[in-house]
Amino acid sequence: MKPNFTQKVTNWGNYPVVEKEMRSEDSFKKIKDFVLNHNEIIARGNGRCYGDASLGESIFSTKKLNKFISFDRLNGVIECESGVLLSDVLEIAVPQGYFLYVTPGTKFISVGGAIASDVHGKNHHAEGCFSEYVIEFKLMTESGDIITCSREENSDKFWSTIGGMGLTGIILTAKFKLKNIESAYIRQESIKAENLDEIFKLFDESESWTYTVAWIDCLQKGKDIGRSILMRGEHAFQHELPQNLGKTPLRLKKKLQPTVPFYFPGFVLNALTVKLFNWLYYKKQSKKEVKNFIDYETFFYPLDAVNEWNKIYGKSGFIQYQMVIPKEAGKEGMKKILETIAKSGNGSFLAVLKLFGKHNPDAYNSFPMEGYTLALDFKVNSKLKKLVDQLDGIVQEFGGRIYLTKDSMSRSSLTNYLKNIRSSKFVSLQHKRIINNNS
Amino acid sequence: MIVLGSTSEVAQAFVEKALQEGEKFEKIYLFTSNKETTERFARHIDVKFLQQSEVIELDLTKEIDYNRFDTINSNVLFCAVGYLGEGTEEGLYDNKNTQRIIDINYSKLVPVMNYFAHKFENRRSGTIIGLSSVAGDRGRQSNFIYGSAKAAFTAYLSGLRNYLFDKKVHVLTIKPGFMATKMTEGLPLNPKLTASPRQAAACIYKAFKKQNNVAYVLPVWSIIMLIIRNIPEFIFKKLKL
Repeated sequence: MKPNFTQKVTNWGNYPVVEKEMRSEDSFKKIKDFVLNHNEIIARGNGRCYGDASLGESIFSTKKLNKFISFDRLNGVIECESGVLLSDVLEIAVPQGYFLYVTPGTKFISVGGAIASDVHGKNHHAEGCFSEYVIEFKLMTESGDIITCSREENSDKFWSTIGGMGLTGIILTAKFKLKNIESAYIRQESIKAENLDEIFKLFDESESWTYTVAWIDCLQKGKDIGRSILMRGEHAFQHELPQNLGKTPLRLKKKLQPTVPFYFPGFVLNALTVKLFNWLYYKKQSKKEVKNFIDYETFFYPLDAVNEWNKIYGKSGFIQYQMVIPKEAGKEGMKKILETIAKSGNGSFLAVLKLFGKHNPDAYNSFPMEGYTLALDFKVNSKLKKLVDQLDGIVQEFGGRIYLTKDSMSRSSLTNYLKNIRSSKFVSLQHKRIINNNS
Repeated sequence: MIVLGSTSEVAQAFVEKALQEGEKFEKIYLFTSNKETTERFARHIDVKFLQQSEVIELDLTKEIDYNRFDTINSNVLFCAVGYLGEGTEEGLYDNKNTQRIIDINYSKLVPVMNYFAHKFENRRSGTIIGLSSVAGDRGRQSNFIYGSAKAAFTAYLSGLRNYLFDKKVHVLTIKPGFMATKMTEGLPLNPKLTASPRQAAACIYKAFKKQNNVAYVLPVWSIIMLIIRNIPEFIFKKLKL
């Protein structure tokens, strides 16, 4: 048996699938050898991005860079290698009374990926992106040299790497701040909204809440368009908690984690089942408003409860379409987007609406800009390209852009927003596609 | 806990698993031929579990000074030392390769194991866990130098278990089958037959707690090896395995 590092690689959406070389090393010396001996390299963490980001001719997997380096328990500063997952960070941080300042909807992404995508969470309007809390990181550049990047040191590389989709080098380690928490629970309020006007009003009213997000039923038409449930939350203080949770406020009980056993056949997810799911989801909450305490995993990572949930979309995979539309045009743009989806019948199982706060001008490669962002899952089928093109048209019309971390087929005019990333060494298939479509 | 072969991903995963399950060790002794990588792991378990450890260099191809190990005392020994070397096609007639495989997997390793086994015997307690290989169950043309060294190691563990039984020391033989580790990176392994280090660690921990004698990491391997062991020799010799 001779080693052959070529293998089928795909990201979380199972689309596209490529057959490329993938290697993983844990010694910096060996990583340098890899960098010097390969062309068109892209680093890849846990492969939880969706489209063709993190795919390249030669993929360097950071999976073996999975060690913690230090944890200042007094000041909540943690340093680790870039392949450490956010779930690993939470595992040691939460019992000590710390939490991630910014987390996306899954905890199974790597720290390196969080920086390269400059991930955002339900608190973007209040606390910005992941990068706000990054103190420094080590980056391996084209020459195989390792440089420390921070706001003071190599700050040009620091900012271009943030949100830079791995096109500036390989992030090896990172040091970042954590936030204090008193409990592992969230004080949550969920409020039903009949339509788009109501949900936008709720978002405005909830601006003082740290976390806000809305689940939206994207198959509704006419006056019901934008039917949704807004969820807002705060980290619960110990004294607020009901007695049964208050005894060990920083410890959660172990939960059973079911796994989707196989790729679902294509017919399982169709317009009817999606409609039924959305109907049930909306009706499940019978009251207009529910206030409760839920553990952080249920609040932040509901989908992580089911391992390999991506298999429900079948073997042909799915895309996640996430765009942002500037605030002033937000409502009108969203209405148009939702109308187009409803008309297409290509329903999204999970549609999430959020209000982004101001963009950090230093983090010029980050996706978020002040406005409304909608994330939608679509199963890959023959009609999808046309729908994506229609949606792209609307996003373009309103001056928005597409999240590169989830992109695999959008117009290059909406995805070609990165600056200072030109490198002949670090090249992703996504970036090549975008550049080629542009010329 | 004493760990031989501390850069092994399975060894590291086992240490993490044991600490996660709340096992208490005053100190973990990490024996290694690669100090840099192991020191990273030592820092990692300090950050993650506040676990004290000591990194000790051990090169099985060189002379070993046992006096250095005098003060080491523990009740668990985990041995994940393993060296695949070049396959038979490239390495069969390369004496250096052959010698290295035999040294690291057996001839130089066993005296070290014995040294600690003796300590365990004197204390009349403890568990010795040795990672052998399914390759030791029957010699196959693709890797029989490695396989023969592992066969010898399996026999050693079996005898040691027998010898230490009434001295209250338990010996556990692990036969991992395919694992997705450095040793096998890039090899075309069937994912259904391949365990991740984390999966392997969980199985080994279970076998450790249950005081099993011999355990395959994935149960399917016990069936595969049962079949392979029982193929008549006149057929087996013609197979390309």
